[in-house]
Order: sequence, then structure tokens, then C-alpha cells
Amino acid sequence: MAFPLPRGITASEIAFLAEMETVTIVPRQRLEGLELLGGPVEPLVPPRRASLPLWLALLLKRQRRANIIPPTWLHPEPLALILEFESQHQDYKNAFSPPPPCPFTPDGNRYYVAPPFLPQNTAQTVTSSRDPPSLPFHWVEVGNMLLEVASDDLVDPDQIRRLLKDLREVRMAKMRSGVDVLDAAATGGGGVALTGVGSMELGEERGFITGVVDGLRKIGSSKEQARREQMAEQRANGGYDGTQDNDEEEDYMEF
Amino acid sequence: MDIDDILASVDHGPGASSESAALDHQLLTRFWVAERAVSEVLPWPAPLMERIMDRVRIQIETIEDLAASSESALPTTANTHNPNLNLRLSILQTDLSRTQYIVRSLLRARLAKITKHSMHYLVLLASRNKNPLASQTQSTASSQNPNQQPEDSVPDISALTDVSPLSEPESTFLHAHQTLLAGHYAGSFMGAFPRQLRRLDDNAGGTSMIQGPELKEVVFVRCLGAEVPVVVGGEDEEGDETGVTMRMGDVWVVRWEGVKGAWGRGEVELL
Repeated sequence: MAFPLPRGITASEIAFLAEMETVTIVPRQRLEGLELLGGPVEPLVPPRRASLPLWLALLLKRQRRANIIPPTWLHPEPLALILEFESQHQDYKNAFSPPPPCPFTPDGNRYYVAPPFLPQNTAQTVTSSRDPPSLPFHWVEVGNMLLEVASDDLVDPDQIRRLLKDLREVRMAKMRSGVDVLDAAATGGGGVALTGVGSMELGEERGFITGVVDGLRKIGSSKEQARREQMAEQRANGGYDGTQDNDEEEDYMEF
Repeated sequence: MDIDDILASVDHGPGASSESAALDHQLLTRFWVAERAVSEVLPWPAPLMERIMDRVRIQIETIEDLAASSESALPTTANTHNPNLNLRLSILQTDLSRTQYIVRSLLRARLAKITKHSMHYLVLLASRNKNPLASQTQSTASSQNPNQQPEDSVPDISALTDVSPLSEPESTFLHAHQTLLAGHYAGSFMGAFPRQLRRLDDNAGGTSMIQGPELKEVVFVRCLGAEVPVVVGGEDEEGDETGVTMRMGDVWVVRWEGVKGAWGRGEVELL
């Protein structure tokens, strides 16, 4: 057996990815800059703040060589705000709170940076104070790792732990209640939006969602084949106006 | 292969800069996640992997040099000269192991897919053979051959120059693996079959015996382009029929065949 793991990255691999997020630290000792395979690391000069990958920050923190400055969102107030938003807001009864704004700027390179390589977990994020707080893609993993290793650097860690747990439960319930719309993903060209979902939440539900959708697809495959043939026939007759299946495409839900 | 276009747009001299190291690392990570997420083998990003492996080799040498210098110096002087040497070593080694882990996981995931659908990829490669006459005569000859063996249905791909989506070593492995497997089948049970039933690529009765990866399976994607439509029925089918449209930053559950083209253009990322 060349590779025993199932399709789609597993929970430990998601945590591995989350360790590539960038965090802000205050070093307690000097360290010259290093050329790593993941990119260069700036020289550490206390008490100047520095941005490092999370795995390196945790390594330094464990050896008491640095303090981690918690990300902007990992404080009791923003988390309480998000929790209230997720649980009370009418518009978001079935939807996750919106993710951090995308700073993707198509610059002709056609390479778009995405998490974990966006500065979503640094202390001085680009978002101004007017923007509502939002959960980054790797919020579960980063939150838990920082609580575990660097709880003395956080403000009121017990409160944060409680809020993270509440958030997880609220969002998990939403994920489960959204199962009804999965049928849309089983049709060709259709899909289900999960905008705002976290990486670990995806990882947890991946097996379930892919299983359900594949089951639905197999059940509906003969119907889909018939519909495609019918449409090909209509197109051949030149009379397809594309109105008849509009309502079918509308029934996806942003959740 | 569009990932190469992206890479080519960034300048990569022989002394690749540290900025490109960071970019290559991000591309490798993204490619690894994508390879783990879909059921088929993705096109091998040869230039990217060559650069990564070059860097890994250089990094190993750097670590060995550092370790040697710490051992050769007297312990007391080493401590006074550079108290951070051990820390630096451990950071460099951790970083190296993380990259090696990704590369290893990537290769193993590809090998697993190749062995699972070995006949499919062999036939796919062989069908691209520029000389259809040769394969035709070969197949007629083999069908008349009274000593038809399962090994005969393994296409010969040794002469092929374009082995996309596989890499060269992967295609060699694929052929060797399938030849061994066919030999084993012949020895264990297929030798007892009537000879017209001994082919591994039999498609009698309209049912092909070759199983390929399921392209209709759903994947999780994040839309990176401004607006990306989901294509119905894959790109190679006639008609540009599109379904729902994804907007930048959205996360969707969609069929892989519907976003495969967009992935190749770098407009979506697999999660």
C-alpha cells in the first residue's frame, strides 16, 4: 500500500498547514536571520517585534526564547462579538460569519496568495478598526495551539477557550443543518457555498459531505443523463432558451 | 501546464532568490493539498519540483557544515562564539523535515493513485502514441497470437517522450508495476482462462474493464479569481455550458470536473 490515508487532507495535516500561518512575536534574545526552505526569517532583535511562521514561534515559545503576541481576533471582545453575530443575527441563521476580507489583487502574475500565507493572524493586521472582527481560515487550529503553548501570552485565556468552544458548537450546528442543500452539489455545474467555513471544520465534515453528495449523484445519474440528452436534442433543434431549469440552480443556499 | 506559466512569470535565476523560495514553498504546499484532494493524478510540476529538490540538497549541505563546525570547535569556544548554534541547527532541521514531509506525502499520494488506476494511465499514455499504425499491427498480431498472455495487453510506453501527467520515473514505475502485476495474474489464475478472455483491457459487451478515477466526485475549492463559473460536464465536452458562478474568496463544494480548467489556470484553490 503506497499511501494509506484517505482522499482529502486529514486533521493532523490541517494542523500542519495551520503551522505555516504567520504570527507576531516579541523575541527575548538575539538570533541572526535564517534562510529557510519556507522563505527567509528576519533577524530577531529584542524588543523589536517580528513576524514568523507559527511553528517557529511555538518552538521559540516552548524554549522561552520569545513571547507570542496574540492575533487581533484572539481576544475575548472580538470573539464575543463574532459569537453574538453568529448566533443572534437573522441573516446569518444558516450562514457562517463572513471571512476576513480578501486582499487578493490580481497583479498580472496570476498567482493569488491564500491562507495559510496571508497575514491573518499577526497582531497588527491590515484590517482597520472599523471593520468588524472576523475568523481567519485556520481559526480552530491557531486558537487551540496558542491556548496550549502560549496561554500566558493571551488575555484571559479561560474566557477565550470558552468562547472558542461556543463558536465551534454554533458553527457545527449550522454545518449539520445545511445538509438539505447538498443535493445542489450533486448536479453537474451546481455547487454549495460554504463561504466563511474554517479549515478544520471542512476537514471534519469532508468525509460526510463527499459521501452524501456522491451517493446523491449516483442516485441521480440516470436522471442527469436523460436531462443532458434532452438538452442536446433541444440545442440541436435550436430552441433551447435556458429558462426551464433556472429554479433548479437557485436552490443553493449560502450557509 | 499553467502552474509553470505562473512560475515562469517570476524571475528565477540560477541563484534563486529567497523571495522565490517563499513562493515555491507556497506553490508546493498548494499543489500538495490539491493532489491529496482529487481522485486523479495531477500534471507533474517538473520545474517546481526540481527547484525544491535543489534547495533541499543545498540546505542539507548547509546543515552538515554547521553541525561539523560545532563538533570540531571546542565546546567552550563554541559556546562563547555562537550560543545560538544549536538553536539554529534545530530550526533548520525542523524546516527541512517539514519540506521533506510534504514532498514525501505528495509522491506517495501520487503513487497510490497510479497503482490504483494503473491500466487507465497506461492506456492514456499509449493512446497519445504518435504512431497509430504500430499499435494497430501490434494489437492484431496479439489477437491472433495463440499464446495470448495478460502481459501482452500492457501497452509499451518506453518510446514515449511526453508522459504528462506523470513524471519520467513515475511512468517507468507504472509500466514495471503493471507488467509484474499482469505476470502475477497470468501465473496465479488467468493462465487457466480461455485465451480470448486473457486481456486486461477487455471491453467486450461495451463495458470497459479499465477503471479510471471518478472525475465527478466533489471537492472543496476556494475561488481566487474575480468570478469563476462552474462548467457542466468538464471542459473537453462540446458547448460552454456553465452552472453557478463563484466569487472571489468564496468556498464551494463542487464537482472536480467543473473546476478542473479553472484550477489549471490558477483561479481556484483546492482545500
